[in-house]
Amino acid sequence: MPKFIISYVKYVDYVSTKFGRLSMYLIFLMIGTLLLGAITRNILNFPLSWTVEMAQFTITAYYILGGPYSMQMDDHVRMDLIYGLYSDKTKARIDVFTNIFLLVYLIVLLIGAISSTQYAIEYGQRKFSQWNPSMIPIKIIMTFGIFLMILQTISTFFKDLAKSMGASIT
Amino acid sequence: MSYELIGMSMFGGMLLMMLTGQRIFAAIGFVSAIAALFLWGNGGVQMPFSAAFKLFNWYPLLTLPLFIYMGYILSESGIADDLYHMFHVWFGGLKGGLAIGTIALMIVISAMNGLSVAGMAIGATIALPEMLKRGYDKIMITGVVQAGSSLGILIPPSVVLVLYGMIARQPVGKLWLAGAIPGLMMAGLFIIYIAVRCKLQPDLAPALSEEERNLSLSAKLQVLKAGITPFLIFFFMTGLFIMGVTSLVESSAVGATAATIAAIAKRRLNRKVIEATMRKTLGISCMFMWIILAALSFGAVFDGIGAVKSIESLFITNWNLTPWEVLIMMQLSYLLMGTFLDDTAMLVIVAPLYVPLVKVLGFDPVWYGVLYTITCQIAYMTPPFGYNLFLMRAMAPKEISLMDIYRSIIPFVLIMTLALVLVMVFPQIALWLPEYVYSR
Repeated sequence: MPKFIISYVKYVDYVSTKFGRLSMYLIFLMIGTLLLGAITRNILNFPLSWTVEMAQFTITAYYILGGPYSMQMDDHVRMDLIYGLYSDKTKARIDVFTNIFLLVYLIVLLIGAISSTQYAIEYGQRKFSQWNPSMIPIKIIMTFGIFLMILQTISTFFKDLAKSMGASIT
Repeated sequence: MSYELIGMSMFGGMLLMMLTGQRIFAAIGFVSAIAALFLWGNGGVQMPFSAAFKLFNWYPLLTLPLFIYMGYILSESGIADDLYHMFHVWFGGLKGGLAIGTIALMIVISAMNGLSVAGMAIGATIALPEMLKRGYDKIMITGVVQAGSSLGILIPPSVVLVLYGMIARQPVGKLWLAGAIPGLMMAGLFIIYIAVRCKLQPDLAPALSEEERNLSLSAKLQVLKAGITPFLIFFFMTGLFIMGVTSLVESSAVGATAATIAAIAKRRLNRKVIEATMRKTLGISCMFMWIILAALSFGAVFDGIGAVKSIESLFITNWNLTPWEVLIMMQLSYLLMGTFLDDTAMLVIVAPLYVPLVKVLGFDPVWYGVLYTITCQIAYMTPPFGYNLFLMRAMAPKEISLMDIYRSIIPFVLIMTLALVLVMVFPQIALWLPEYVYSR
């Protein structure tokens, strides 16, 4: 494999891992916020209106930013009825092609994300609720996460390509 | 191209894409994106991303990562080992006692967690090796763990019923209560089956040796302490929710906290456990959420071409079926699709098509929720694509082959089908408890 591809894979995997590891901790933020809401309402008799919405924002960041890392770790299920019968090399050959479908889906997602973020920024979009938070931060996070997912898919594509030729990039 | 044909080719395209072995979410997402672009051109480009905001608004899904987290804390921190030991000591003397004890263990795990993954992990890593060591028949016990863990989604709390509640717009509390008695009934049927089978074929499950059984009564009572923690967790989580103290998503956070505190109290929470729990929770949650994201987009396209109306007219106008026939058709088609499709995806794609139909036909949507969950349980276990089968192979000891796993489920699938028929014929099995609680 050419050197620039190897360093691309290395760099993208590094960034995905960092963001994945970061979003791992968001589970505690979700638990904490929801618990805070339950405690203040029941024990202190002081209901907070924003806890569930905050948790909604958190879970969105959690799975979108965690997506590239989970793909790197190969956590996403496949239907391995036929696929499972092949050797690793053949699996990689098939993946080289089918990764393109994944890429198409992610690009359509990204186009939607960008135009939705532009809209939010242009009109200062807010969530219609008592707390009334701005939608801009979460949309930027989502757009970034999807973009990173695309970079990770390309990295995975290179890794599969190398594997299909009997080499490996690690 | 007629809309029916588009719908069919979307479905076919999705199946074909899945067969290539590409990640499930990619297969679904790709087909939905292409269909949206094909049908609505530039207007359709937003569709896959809008699904993310539909997902955002489905806030009860917050329970999903929290239950996954809780399940891993319970299995990684060894709380489940003590529980298994308790059932081992108390049931070990019976013929097939460890298998019956495993079902009991699964009931307790199910009452603490809303997914079947937790029970599966605990059953495959703790109960299976113990039973294998004692000469239990491997095919029978593989089935026991799979069937037992599937109770996780029927006995409250249940994530599948949360998802169903969002789609059908029914209160989750009612749905959870409706699942309780059918879940216990099904567990009872499993136990009867194991007891009868072991009576007829005693070599399948040898009783424990004398010295293993001969524990003093005080030692036997001592191990019962293991039951206190699960009871407390169940009370704080499901109890407070049913009593209306905590909301649904709050209760899952309370459960996650209670499990963490229990692990700390047992001095089993170390860096390694936390690291493994966080890593796996992120992995499994991402897998589920990305599938749901793609499936919601697929569902939106289906909605756009009026798939609900065409199924309705197919069943009622064209085929002239009575409501009961439609109901049976739906369950059958569900089982059939469940063997090919990923279960989470099926839930999000197919349930929105069927639930409005159930309401049109005049059936109780709460009752249908239970039927639907039992069907999901069966679908989870039937090859070639059963999520449980897949997990089982990853988690079970090496000597259990894929063929063993496939063969092991047959009697249990038959029992579950029997349970499904019983709940269909006698709706009160499901509806009595929620009606009793909510009418007070």
